[in-house]
Amino acid sequence: MARTDLPTRGRGAPPLTAVQQLVNLKSNPISEGVGSVRLGKLTWQFTAQPDPLSRVYSALIQYQQGGVPKVYIREPDLGALADGRKLPHVYQQNPPQLCLYLPGTGEWSPSKRISETIVPWTFLWLWYFEEWLASGVWKGGGMHPSPRLVDRRSQADGGKG
Amino acid sequence: MFIDPKAARKAQLAEILETMCEALELTPTQSEEAEKRYNAVGRWLGEDALLAGAWIYVHGSVALGTTTKPLTKAEFDVDLVCHVPHGTRDIPPAILKKIVGDRLKDHGTYVRLLEEMCRCWRLNYAGEFHMDITPSIPNPDCGLGGELVPDKELRQWKPTNPVGYRKLFEQRAMLQPVLRLLKTERYAADGAVERMRMKGVLRRIVQLCKRHRDIHFADNTELAPLSIIITTLAARSYEQCARYGVFDDESDLLISVLRGMPGFITFDGSTWWIPNETTRGENFAEKWNAKSALAGAFYAWHGKCVSDLERLLELVGRDQIQKSLSDAFGSAAASQAMQPLTDRIGSDRAARRLAVAPGIGLTGAASSSAGTMVRPNTFFGTD
Repeated sequence: MARTDLPTRGRGAPPLTAVQQLVNLKSNPISEGVGSVRLGKLTWQFTAQPDPLSRVYSALIQYQQGGVPKVYIREPDLGALADGRKLPHVYQQNPPQLCLYLPGTGEWSPSKRISETIVPWTFLWLWYFEEWLASGVWKGGGMHPSPRLVDRRSQADGGKG
Repeated sequence: MFIDPKAARKAQLAEILETMCEALELTPTQSEEAEKRYNAVGRWLGEDALLAGAWIYVHGSVALGTTTKPLTKAEFDVDLVCHVPHGTRDIPPAILKKIVGDRLKDHGTYVRLLEEMCRCWRLNYAGEFHMDITPSIPNPDCGLGGELVPDKELRQWKPTNPVGYRKLFEQRAMLQPVLRLLKTERYAADGAVERMRMKGVLRRIVQLCKRHRDIHFADNTELAPLSIIITTLAARSYEQCARYGVFDDESDLLISVLRGMPGFITFDGSTWWIPNETTRGENFAEKWNAKSALAGAFYAWHGKCVSDLERLLELVGRDQIQKSLSDAFGSAAASQAMQPLTDRIGSDRAARRLAVAPGIGLTGAASSSAGTMVRPNTFFGTD
């Protein structure tokens, strides 16, 4: 099983390059997929099945070195599954872009591996999404803050969403 | 480590069905409470001069371990027999029933709970149980230790054998079918599958069928097949599967048992026949012969039950599975069945032992060796 040999990097650790992120994504079996880095921009497409009873989702990560990772669900169409209901915890509805962590808190930082943060959180988001489809209640916790706070957090994180 | 996704799926579904059945049945505390109560009634009846030596025992779903919470009332049915060992056919059923009723009326508590039914007396413990007490006498013509109980009109004694029936059911429930994938590495230790094995797959199948029937016939209960019919057909089909079949796993067995049920109904062109194998002269399908719609209703329900469960095993998406469970078994039962998994994900996450393992997805893990740990996060969102 692919595992980190390095100590967990804290906020003070140097940022990982897009190529390092790509290598980590490639070597972790939970994020098995295809992708590339061009001009410092990482694109990674992988499939996620949150548990054996769930659907298999196709996810896309885009990450510009120095920015923040963006996660989109390509298939199936989450909006269609939600049947008119507004998706919770997304930056945008279509294509759905997931809000996986609270910016500015260090939950994610450029020194952390996408394969060990963003990817498992994508699984977790999708698990709670199916639960939400059934119950109508988002049980994964989190925040839906005021637009002003979002603005501040985004600036603090040096990027949008 | 190779994980067969199909086996993982089926193991989780088995767990969901197991949880649902557990939530539908009498709790151990309720069972003890019921037992305490009917033993006390039994002592009271046995001390009566006319009923000297009589005893009470439980039969039906409580005795068999196949209880399901009723849909429209709070009380579980607890079926009791008051056996009068010195009783003979000479005593008209109506008289024996009256003697039992009179004795119950002599008791300060029972008289307030008492309700007269066609051929039995009911003690109505509101919110808890309906204890139905049917008088019985020995059946000298039955070589299998059967008894006689009043017919519906209280005119005649008719044969039955609750003790023998229970014994046969228990023997069948203990049969261990051959399951090929029983010892898959990961799921051999699975708690739910283990629990299912202890309770016995047969009892769970009977519970699933009975609950499915209750939902299916919610608006026309008069057409619903009797529990004794479902139980008998399931037990006979289970025995056949256990003796002669080989199955991948519990869900494969479940479908085969369900499919085999109608094979134990006979129809000779005019008479429906589902015999009580433990005595002579009791036909559980007796009512079908007076009202042919009942046979049609059974077959329609049975077809729906098989296809609902087959579909459930193929469905993808937790929401789809919950919806299908809800349609087939009721929305409360469906959410109760799914809730423990939601709770487990939540508590594993809070305790920081949630991981993503390849081929499994989210799983509770003691260490990161099972996969990639899910680090703490706060779902955010502007939309």
